[in-house]
Amino acid sequence: MSTLISFDIDGTLEIGDPPGAVTLEMVKAARAKGILTGSCSDRPMSAQRAIWEEHGIEYDFVCYKHLLADLKKQFDAENYYHVGDRDDLDRKYAIRAGFGFFWPDEAAENPLLL
Amino acid sequence: MTTGYAPPSMYRSREGMGVWEHRGKVAAVGVGHSPTERRWDENPETSVGAWSIMALRNAMADAGVTPNQVDGLVIVPVTTTGAFWPEDKALPQDVIEAFVQTDDPLDGIAKLSVDWLLKNMPELTGINYSLYAPVCMSNALNVAAQVVGDGLAHTVLVLKAWHNLQGRYYQGGQNAQDAIGGTSAMRSLWGAPACYGTALQFAEYCHKYGKNHDMMTPFIINSRRNGLMFPEGYWAQHRPEELTDEDYQLARWIAKPANLFDNDIPIMCAASYLFTTAERAKDMKQKPVYILNHVDSNAVPRGLTPTLDEVEAECALTGRKIYEGAGITAADLSFENMYDGFTQFHQFHIEGLGYRGIGFGDALDFYQTDISIEGPNPVSPSGGNIGSGRSRFWMHTDSIQQLQGRAGGRQITGVDAEIGVSGGPMPLGGNYTVWSATPD
Repeated sequence: MSTLISFDIDGTLEIGDPPGAVTLEMVKAARAKGILTGSCSDRPMSAQRAIWEEHGIEYDFVCYKHLLADLKKQFDAENYYHVGDRDDLDRKYAIRAGFGFFWPDEAAENPLLL
Repeated sequence: MTTGYAPPSMYRSREGMGVWEHRGKVAAVGVGHSPTERRWDENPETSVGAWSIMALRNAMADAGVTPNQVDGLVIVPVTTTGAFWPEDKALPQDVIEAFVQTDDPLDGIAKLSVDWLLKNMPELTGINYSLYAPVCMSNALNVAAQVVGDGLAHTVLVLKAWHNLQGRYYQGGQNAQDAIGGTSAMRSLWGAPACYGTALQFAEYCHKYGKNHDMMTPFIINSRRNGLMFPEGYWAQHRPEELTDEDYQLARWIAKPANLFDNDIPIMCAASYLFTTAERAKDMKQKPVYILNHVDSNAVPRGLTPTLDEVEAECALTGRKIYEGAGITAADLSFENMYDGFTQFHQFHIEGLGYRGIGFGDALDFYQTDISIEGPNPVSPSGGNIGSGRSRFWMHTDSIQQLQGRAGGRQITGVDAEIGVSGGPMPLGGNYTVWSATPD
């Protein structure tokens, strides 16, 4: 069962500003399970790529939050999830795109990332 | 010492006032900055008060002036436009008690008074004159220039500081209330982001002149590039990320046609300049930068949001006042550092200046040419707020540094830095300063 998880950065990932609950090890754990991962953030897309590369983590995509729905056109997965800390942005766009949504604390305890 | 706001008589608000009576007789010498940070971490040493003191001391040191030589202070007492101490949040007593207090517990935390500064800077023993300026550094510069010119003080420190608190910007204060006081209810549309008015004017502009949002791209890229060469700025210090065309053009709309990167990022920071007489400046540590003129725009819009026609008329008037009072023409400008907090009014400002001969409707085409610091037509060499974060003073620091030849990586090289102009914020409602490497 293929799964895609997109991560907001600030307030969500430990490397964000402010730092969030989701660690890079959790992202790696997800990838080790064959989960497609990347970021969906308001940070410039070039900066998102640089962040993953700086930390040596492979990624399948980067995009802006409001373009989350485009990931469904790019990737044919059975499950799509977005992890973020903003109700008015992350959760809103996730729901609009038909993604499942996790707050950072929820994601940090989810078996998909452990 | 009681400090009040600068009287209207200090501002040069009308066309037809002639050349400024103190043209070339007032000089900026010292520049002082604090570090920058995204939000306050609630420690005393990083409070807006602490960073204000740091900026003031840095400006004095930069000018080679001892504190007792300073006899005037002009500061902006309001240190935010959108970050307010929550009413239900306990005051940070440890921070308050780390300083000598005034009777306002938020003094030095979410606002600033001359009284608080003097209590916490005992070295400033010579202050005889002080004034408040409203809004931002651009206004304070006008006031300080007039203070020195009028002989009210001979060596003046000018200060503007910004605080930013945890949480969302523009979500607190009166925006969080069920009711709004005074005439604000007539002027402040509920629910609209801050940039909506400028976005509306920009949309009208694009429709009128056949332009589009993507034409702003070179200006944004150029501004961020220049900002990354501003070591005092936020992006250079914390997130040195260039922007690509794709980054800008695909960003989320905030108020279409203004997207995320058409808005500046709120930060904490403080800056101070030391102004003095041209005569005294000769003996100071840095090369004097002479003030040829200062201008005030105080137009009142006809409605809730100025129309494009009103914006263009006022920017043109501001341009005429700038040149009249300085005794120069547009052709004399080496560079412009007009305000860019919302990117989409920068072109109104430079069109009003007739910068490099452009007229209304020309700026976006102008942006497609060489607007770099290395070229013949540098646009916003400071990088402005877009390049370094929300301060409304990068433009002034850069103007002074360009003319002193110490703008570092940002130093314009395509033209000689001889005369520049900086100011803002809004096309209707702003203050502008004309700077020169020579007094005449």
